[in-house]
Amino acid sequence: MREQFDVAIVGAGPAGISAAHVLGGRGIKTIVFERGEYPGAKNISGGVLYGHDLARILPDFREKGCPIERNIVESRLWYLSNDGGYSVAFRDRAFCDRLFLNAFTVGRARFDRWFAEQTKEKGILVVCSTVVTDLLRDARGQVIGVMTDRPEGDVKARVVLLADGINSALAAKTGFRPEPNPHDVALAVKDVIELPEELINERFNVETGQGVTTEIIGEITEGMDGVAVIYTNRNSLSVCIGANLSDFVKSRVKPYEMLERLKEHPMVAPLIRGGQSKEYMAHWVAEGGYDSIPGLSGNGYLIAGDSGMLFNALHREGSNMAMTSGRFAAEAIVEAFDKGDFSSNGLAGYLERLDGSYIMEDLKKYRGFGKFRLEHHELFTTLPRLHSFAAREMLTVDGVSKKEKQRIIWKAIRKEISTGKMIRLFRHGWGSIK
Amino acid sequence: MNVICCLKQVPNTAEVKIDPETNTLIRAGVESITNPYDTVALEAGLIIKDKYGGTVTAISMGPPQAEEILREAIALGADEGILLSDRAFAGADTLATSYTLAKAIQQLERPAPVDLVLCGKQAIDGDTAQVGPGIATRLGYGQFTYVAEIREIDEAKRRITVKRKVEGGFEVIRGPLPAVLTVELDLAKPRRASLPRLIYSLRTGITLWNAETIHGDPQRLGLKGSPTWVKKIFSPPLKQGGPVFDARKEPRRAVEDCLNILLADEMFAWHFLKRWER
Amino acid sequence: MAKNLKGIEVAEIISDKCIGCQICVAECPVGAIEMKGGVACIDPEICIGCGKCFEVCPVEAVRFEKERREDAVTKPEETQKDIYADYRGVAVFIEVWNGGGASVSWELTGKARELAGKLQTKVIGLLAGHEVDGVAGEAIAYGCDEVHIIDDPLLKVYLSRSYGKALSDLCQKVKPEIVLVGATPVGRDLASVVATTIGTGLTADCTGLDIDEEKRLLLMTRPTFGGNIMATIFCEHHRPQMSTVRPKVFALCPRDEGRKGDVHRYPLEPPHGELPEIVEFVRHVADEGTADITRFPALVVAGKGACDPESAPMLQELADVVGGVVACSRPVVEAGFMPYERQVGQTGKTVAPKLYFAIGVSGAVQHLVGMQGSEKIVAVNSDPSAPIFNIATAGILGDYRQVVPLLIEELRKKLKGG
Repeated sequence: MREQFDVAIVGAGPAGISAAHVLGGRGIKTIVFERGEYPGAKNISGGVLYGHDLARILPDFREKGCPIERNIVESRLWYLSNDGGYSVAFRDRAFCDRLFLNAFTVGRARFDRWFAEQTKEKGILVVCSTVVTDLLRDARGQVIGVMTDRPEGDVKARVVLLADGINSALAAKTGFRPEPNPHDVALAVKDVIELPEELINERFNVETGQGVTTEIIGEITEGMDGVAVIYTNRNSLSVCIGANLSDFVKSRVKPYEMLERLKEHPMVAPLIRGGQSKEYMAHWVAEGGYDSIPGLSGNGYLIAGDSGMLFNALHREGSNMAMTSGRFAAEAIVEAFDKGDFSSNGLAGYLERLDGSYIMEDLKKYRGFGKFRLEHHELFTTLPRLHSFAAREMLTVDGVSKKEKQRIIWKAIRKEISTGKMIRLFRHGWGSIK
Repeated sequence: MNVICCLKQVPNTAEVKIDPETNTLIRAGVESITNPYDTVALEAGLIIKDKYGGTVTAISMGPPQAEEILREAIALGADEGILLSDRAFAGADTLATSYTLAKAIQQLERPAPVDLVLCGKQAIDGDTAQVGPGIATRLGYGQFTYVAEIREIDEAKRRITVKRKVEGGFEVIRGPLPAVLTVELDLAKPRRASLPRLIYSLRTGITLWNAETIHGDPQRLGLKGSPTWVKKIFSPPLKQGGPVFDARKEPRRAVEDCLNILLADEMFAWHFLKRWER
Repeated sequence: MAKNLKGIEVAEIISDKCIGCQICVAECPVGAIEMKGGVACIDPEICIGCGKCFEVCPVEAVRFEKERREDAVTKPEETQKDIYADYRGVAVFIEVWNGGGASVSWELTGKARELAGKLQTKVIGLLAGHEVDGVAGEAIAYGCDEVHIIDDPLLKVYLSRSYGKALSDLCQKVKPEIVLVGATPVGRDLASVVATTIGTGLTADCTGLDIDEEKRLLLMTRPTFGGNIMATIFCEHHRPQMSTVRPKVFALCPRDEGRKGDVHRYPLEPPHGELPEIVEFVRHVADEGTADITRFPALVVAGKGACDPESAPMLQELADVVGGVVACSRPVVEAGFMPYERQVGQTGKTVAPKLYFAIGVSGAVQHLVGMQGSEKIVAVNSDPSAPIFNIATAGILGDYRQVVPLLIEELRKKLKGG
């Protein structure tokens, strides 16, 4: 007594629910499986979403009560040594009007729940606390449904969309995506620190409803290839730090201790002072870039979002790619229904759309970036230290002439890093992102 | 068997705390669950249905969101979910709650007599254990609290035999139906909903009843019908702790110091050294 | 102070403070308050500014500064006092256990004496059972000024319906202003039946009782939300004010054989309907696994940090030395190392021994509420931040496997020397 659905979606995150919105809008009978108690229950994220990608799925998301924390009006980049660092910030009036909600922070537990709730009126079934354990296939290997961990837990579906995130046990089990290489994933830990709304406004120099993202690299990741972020929510800050998994394995650094040290950094501590930690979680981030992307379609199935390793590590963009890849997958599925062909041929519209969009363009552009960072650990050790040393020297007024200071600085730099290495670093760096 | 299971949606109490500065409840992020004792009551009802046939009706009094737990009950096998939700019910203490539930059960008695009402022993948010007996008293049903096992139901003679926990042991007691049972956690292990039932529950509607549907007397509902009022809430007081001795370096010294503090109270030391003799 | 378009000063909800209890929603005479996103929200255009929500809010989440209008006051104080003038005395339900009074009953008579002193009234014993004259005498020795008895063969065993009828009838005849019942399995079962029958308020499992002398109100404090929060509750407009109290919360009343008191007897009016019959009683075998941990003067309690079957003999030895038994916290029961009967805490037993050894017990609130009445608490824990140290008489920071043998040795020395 297996019920027949048109589409089964595994995972009620941004990718899966975006697809469900599109499919529901076309009257395609769709069921979504979520392993958490509710959509978002298993989720953490730094919490930035992008209005452009969301509006393509739900144009009236604001009117429908999207739980927006703060509209991002300023982006900060910090390059830190252990004792201080450089800060670059960019703010533009456009982010308040013309580009309002270009990027905004959300609490993912609340957002995902809301986003899934909106599919109800389109007739989508979202089934929670249910783990998809395997796929049903016919004799020819075509995917024809899913198996779950519930009694009588199989359902049939013409197409299955895997959108179950970077941790996807299903992707590994089916072999659709090889277990990610430790070089291709980052381990991130996050702390959400509660502070009064007005205090956050003051500390970040913003109006109510406005927010700031801060991206941080440097010595804070203790020599590992990694990054930290601080995002402002309405009355909390998300402080997140992560590094490449292979580096963690080598360095034996404990991620939580690294996060605690970040919170004590002189640039960070004043921002979070007096706050209460209310959430503390760890998460994988798909950082492998273009070369780690598996085959994203096959007979009767598609893979979208993080489970397809669609993540831009340089710009920390993931949720937008998840939403848009989910939308593309749904559009391709609609085409397959028109044609009555659910083989990889019939679903080819998915890859065509991805290839023709910013997603693959961006991921190709930065395909060498991950390798570059892994090969140049000085980015996270020597360089920030030298940078800070240089700036501190120049700013210290102690009777030594500036010319003499320059000499001292150059001597220190040459001692730690050869000119040839420096040139290689710049060449590789530029090459990996141009 | 016509079985009614009473369910309550409760906050997961482990997460409820008081903000020490503002002295208010911190509710952010506290999720709602079905009272764990009530899930056992529902399971007991479903087992009875599996064995003797009949229907299981799940009822709950609460805000509109409590619909969720009734949907879960349907997913697990309940035939119908009835939500008693009305602003007139708000602020009810146990007396008004048992009145409201009893009035609802009287409505359910109309089409067919009710055989059993199953409740959890208590709810984890209030821990009062009063609503079940309250329902039994109001309806004149038999009352069996702390039920650890349902031994037998004799449908022909309309008798039920249960084993219940009492001071110092268990008693096995037999009485007439209809009856209200309040159940212990070890009565049964709640099942997991099958996928088809879960899908069905998402597609089915929850019946909504208000004060009018149950013909409730407004003076006996909600806050108006509640004799007890909360005057204030506060964090539990903690005793002031005494000294802590570090045994990691000089363990024997720490133990000696600790016992000296303990036995510094002469009356206590006297009792202790006499090994608590009177 | 906010005003609405009609110029009326209206109340406002301070949403950060609102706990969503909905008391104000029910109280608002004009239906101006709705729940939005879990907190109450007042529609200023409907609000008439009566201030009732301000009065009933338990957490002061309503902003309303205006003097309450005279006409909004419902009943003058005077008439209320009159209604309840014929309810006098603090009554205790005397539970019979093994032919004598249950010790919780004598803890309650002790507390009742204190409450009655504040109210300048008498302590009343309410007793139901069969052939319980001895218990009535005991009740007087333990502090009752008068005892009211219903003695009937039907009351030989406890049944909700017969006892419910007997005690409800006694309450209605004797008219005490307060009724205290031990929160034993029998007491909790019975108290709800009685409160429902006579239609009064009942507060369960109180850990503190006090009197508002001006209004003659019983202030009942109890843990709620799994012991994370304490609430003080009162029952203003109904009599008697009823409360159940867990055993070991209050001290036993000193026994005085010389006390005098009156005994009144009433016949049992048989309850309606068919009574159930007890087919069988299975007494817990008084072996190690089911010893009643509440009855021992010393407890050695294993927590999560000592959740290891290999440490059991060591803890048992310590228990033997101090003349007590071993008990545990919830994780140890969940791990299957000790039976539920040995569990101390909110979901286990409330204990108040003279000496309490907490070995590897971290001291979560749920545990503390079940043992904070202990006279002396010794905590052994390897975590310096364990909350148990905050309430311990003295603590030892270290590995219990090293500390406990030393404790045994040193205690033996002291016992020999003493």
